[in-house]
Amino acid sequence: MWRIWMLFDPRRALIALFIFLFVLALVIHFILLSTDRFNWLKGPKMAAATSQTYSLPATVASNEK
Amino acid sequence: MADDRHGSLSGLTESEARQFHSIFVTSFVVFTVIAVIAHILVWQWRPWL
Repeated sequence: MWRIWMLFDPRRALIALFIFLFVLALVIHFILLSTDRFNWLKGPKMAAATSQTYSLPATVASNEK
Repeated sequence: MADDRHGSLSGLTESEARQFHSIFVTSFVVFTVIAVIAHILVWQWRPWL
């Protein structure tokens, strides 16, 4: 297996590997951030804000009483 | 020295290739262990299956 480094230049292979892994990690993290369940910054808060928006007419109705 | 590099497309000698390979494998194992730990932590946080 070590003979692969006699075929491929380690410097180029390492740069390509690092760039590939970085782009892959970036893509996966942004995909996760775009979901509700796996957004670790404001996933649940976004859901709460949405439900508050939907419950706004009920709140207004309760204030009118 | 020139004979060692004969037939090597990357220009590395056998000993250089072995040395780099050992470092590469060690780094790969460390990276994999960290990734497995990270996945275990995320699974505990929110399992995805």
